[in-house]
Amino acid sequence: MKTRPLGETGHDSSIMTFGTIALNWLEQEGADQMVELVLDRGVNHFDVAPMYGDAELKLGPKLRQHRDDIFLGCKTQERTYEGAKRKLEQSLNRLGVDHIDLYQVHGLEYEEELDTITGDGGALEAFREAKEEGLISHIGLTSHSEPQLILDAIDRIDDLETLMFPMNPVVAGKDDPDHDYAAVLERAEEEGIGTLGIKAFAKGPWPSTDELPEGDRPYANWYEPVDTPAEIAERFDFAASQGLTSVVSMGDPKLMAMVLDAAQRYDGMDEAAQRSLIERLRHEESPVPEQLHH
Amino acid sequence: MDVPTTVTTALEDRPVSGAVCLEAGAGLGNTTAGLLAAGASRVYAVTTNPDHASHVRKRVAPDDTDRTAVLEADVRTLPLADSSVEIITAHGLFNVLAPKTLDAVVSELTRVAAPGCHLVVDDYDPLPETAAVRDLFALENAASELANGTPALTFYPAGVLRRSFVAEGWEYDRERTLLDPVPWTEKHLRAHANAATALASKLSPELADPLTEAAEHLRQTIGDESVGQMYSLAFRLE
Repeated sequence: MKTRPLGETGHDSSIMTFGTIALNWLEQEGADQMVELVLDRGVNHFDVAPMYGDAELKLGPKLRQHRDDIFLGCKTQERTYEGAKRKLEQSLNRLGVDHIDLYQVHGLEYEEELDTITGDGGALEAFREAKEEGLISHIGLTSHSEPQLILDAIDRIDDLETLMFPMNPVVAGKDDPDHDYAAVLERAEEEGIGTLGIKAFAKGPWPSTDELPEGDRPYANWYEPVDTPAEIAERFDFAASQGLTSVVSMGDPKLMAMVLDAAQRYDGMDEAAQRSLIERLRHEESPVPEQLHH
Repeated sequence: MDVPTTVTTALEDRPVSGAVCLEAGAGLGNTTAGLLAAGASRVYAVTTNPDHASHVRKRVAPDDTDRTAVLEADVRTLPLADSSVEIITAHGLFNVLAPKTLDAVVSELTRVAAPGCHLVVDDYDPLPETAAVRDLFALENAASELANGTPALTFYPAGVLRRSFVAEGWEYDRERTLLDPVPWTEKHLRAHANAATALASKLSPELADPLTEAAEHLRQTIGDESVGQMYSLAFRLE
């Protein structure tokens, strides 16, 4: 699998990042097999979080066995110094390791949170302290929120080394500022910040729970995923060809083999094919009933 | 007002900012939206279809009403003065123009073009023989020929349109591939099947019924298909 420099961290990440939430849905033996599988296919960047059920615990054994082959990203939703320090300790314990390569502010949503994180007694103080103590090596941030908030975070966090945010052809086809993640990507490139793409495989939100109860969903994903080899490959190719460092895999373990296959086969996507995908999805989404032209 | 990437790609190397523009064949106003977004000083959006005209008016309102004039007119008889337009776009126009009207449209666009005018012509290459959607388009054309004596769709090779404009004095600038492949979605197929059915309804039942049935059958069996290419040609008038 190809690798790309993760910003200026000095690490070359595989173009697919293993979203280890998938391990939460497997028994330990299956979780072990999945880690062996993704490593065998050349994935060297893993992402985990304490809120992913038992993912940290289930990743632990194989992570410890292969610690030197895995660049480990973890994250916290805590916004204060005390909270973040406690969560980092907890993650290190649950993972059973003494070092996390990349520690990220998880799911930044509001400007006020950014004030808390960057202020006195904020989470970033704990991040920086941990970096000095050698518990973590790099600081990152993840967000599904509006691009402007992420751009503000870049301005306000000088030592930010990676960003994780949505990137897919549906988002890329929208012009409004609320979907302008391309601007984030561009800015990150200028600043030497590594970029990790999420929601690459999103087909759309799940139907309402009235229509489809949560327990009846066929996949353990945040969103309804594309689920055929061809669609997964074109979505991977699209996301990877936007210039992201790495594309994060889906949450459901049933789809992992297809994502790995797409990542291994990745060989770029020309611009006319990228536009073709954007156009196709724009029409599928379009509220206009009869749109004859591209 | 999302602008399709095909439109932004076709316009990105043209000096739209501050220009008086004509969108020939406005459709749903995709290119009008793109021209406005790129800073056009004025856009004439021309269409023969009253529904399209009303759609474009709603689409540009309320922000850009003062920069946009939606004109219900034939592109062979534009209500515009000679040499009055600085940018002309024909985005997906020519495929709905029958070959016999081609020369008249090329001349009329040339008449309204000011010296130094830029012209962008975006359209579809003829589909490969293996394309399933060809059958649906062939059926739509058959119904159109029988009902109106003219085809509904003609996919001109880029070279044909290029030579037509060069013959009228335009200097060829560049060609780009906008889409490869072209995504013919379920929506497109439904629209074309509906068009074929509407045309067939003008015919005697012996012709109308099998054509309608075949259109619906093709729509269902094909579903969607990504095939063919969409190109963008650019020209300049000396």
